[in-house]
Amino acid sequence: MVGDRMRGRQAAGMIVILAALAGLPLFVRSDYFLGILSVCFIYGIWATSWDFMSGLTGRENFGHALFIGAGAYTAAFLNGKLGTSPWWGLPAGGLAAGLISLVIGVPTLRLRGPYFALAMLAAATIMQRLTLIFWQYSGGEEGIPGLDPMFETKTAIYYLCLCGFVGITALLLLFARSPWGLILRSIRGDEAASQAAGIDVTFHKIAALVVSACCAGIGGVLYAHYQEAVTPDVFSVTLSITIIIMVYVGGIGTLYGPAVGAVLLALLPELLRGLGQYRLWVYSLVLIFILFFAPGGLIAPLWRRVAAGRP
Amino acid sequence: MTVPLLEVTHLNKRFAGLVAVNDVSFTLDAGEIAGILGPNGAGKTTLFNLLTGFLAHDAGSVRFEGHDLGGSLPHQIVNRGLARTFQLCRPFAGLSVIENVMVACLAPRVRRRERPERRAREIVDAVGLAHRADTAVETLPYGDLRRLEIARALATRPRLLLLDEPFAGLGAGEIAPLSDLIRRLHAAEGLTILLIEHRLREFMQLVSRVIAMDFGRIIASGTPGEIVRHPRVIEAYIGRAAENLTSGGAHGAA
Repeated sequence: MVGDRMRGRQAAGMIVILAALAGLPLFVRSDYFLGILSVCFIYGIWATSWDFMSGLTGRENFGHALFIGAGAYTAAFLNGKLGTSPWWGLPAGGLAAGLISLVIGVPTLRLRGPYFALAMLAAATIMQRLTLIFWQYSGGEEGIPGLDPMFETKTAIYYLCLCGFVGITALLLLFARSPWGLILRSIRGDEAASQAAGIDVTFHKIAALVVSACCAGIGGVLYAHYQEAVTPDVFSVTLSITIIIMVYVGGIGTLYGPAVGAVLLALLPELLRGLGQYRLWVYSLVLIFILFFAPGGLIAPLWRRVAAGRP
Repeated sequence: MTVPLLEVTHLNKRFAGLVAVNDVSFTLDAGEIAGILGPNGAGKTTLFNLLTGFLAHDAGSVRFEGHDLGGSLPHQIVNRGLARTFQLCRPFAGLSVIENVMVACLAPRVRRRERPERRAREIVDAVGLAHRADTAVETLPYGDLRRLEIARALATRPRLLLLDEPFAGLGAGEIAPLSDLIRRLHAAEGLTILLIEHRLREFMQLVSRVIAMDFGRIIASGTPGEIVRHPRVIEAYIGRAAENLTSGGAHGAA
């Protein structure tokens, strides 16, 4: 009964937030601000997809930017070099990121220990270097400019990013609350015990990584076409770490926490624009404070309290 | 002639010079309840890890229902019907009691036949944890964790259940009910059980056959009555204890 009421409140809260986001362009006419929010939603996709693999199974991924970059550069090659419609980027970028995740995941996720985390970190860094080494194809530091936007108006792009964000978050939440999600959480709890319960843990970890990578890749495609360009920064360690921080602030393993946390944290530097190059300092301090004072994150515990009707 | 449920032949495992399991051979018939007895470091848990695929053996073979388990992964062995519990309870942290059991109901062997929620409820009921079904495992007392450990193994619908020291860490009052549970499971489901235990009294009442191990070898095998009178078992237990008393805990040569 308490659970039902809580679920009812949560559903009501969710509808209010979604309605507010959907109605926002009617009141906010600033293209600049809608653009900022579009990027925030893309960060939301990245953080939620990171949390799906790493938050649920407990296998930290220090190179989520690898999948983002794979999606973004796939979109840029297709649209910028081959001149295909930007919409082809969405399936192609998701697929490219998924394939790369298999290359990293299959050999490393069967092992215990830090191999997966390190391989992800290394692979993302190597890809960033490769974009500089093969500059004839990838444009080097400059990247690939001149991509077509998905839509002409910022309002339409805003809705596209919002739909992508809400759709992917809803899908991943559905997975997380299914029996599959239970299996993934058991791997986080105790991998050997999960095997002793008859679960093929290697298969499930790889499957979760592929899903996570596809979603991150799609986010990368949206980002590339939003910016109408890609640069090697999409592979950067900074981006990977930023995403992890967003997840921890939101509340790891909850998916909705990182989704909201990412949007808010992505918005924060815009609100504190004066800080400029100190952004990472602020992020790092925020992370330290949150790990220290609220190890379960901020957003997810807060949301649970509000939903339970406690002050 | 019927095939034994489990047939272990000339099993060997060494760790960097230490022979943990040395030429171990035995069989288990369906419906048996047998025990492995032996002092600490005799190789009992290593033997369990070899049988369940958590370790690979160096030589010998393990056949379960006639299938060679060599090279099989732990989850594949569970899905053949050979389940285990761990000596130290290993619950899935962050999940409730019922969710812990439900994970095992999602194993391919079980999932094809039954709805996981229903089966999980039944099993939680059967081991006497119904009143704790929705409790977070972190708050569970140790005796209940032991039951959960058994519940999770049972949920995989095993034909053979390996219990690694099911009474370890339990108080005197908790042992008898758990002992009853194991006996009931054995009777009701026709489950074959192989258990490791240190507590001689409960152990001897529970099992119909004992395999005694020392320094990785089987030193004797027989009914509980035969085993307690077996000279090598007495030497392994009491002889060494006496020796320990006189020589300050140092072991004699193997």
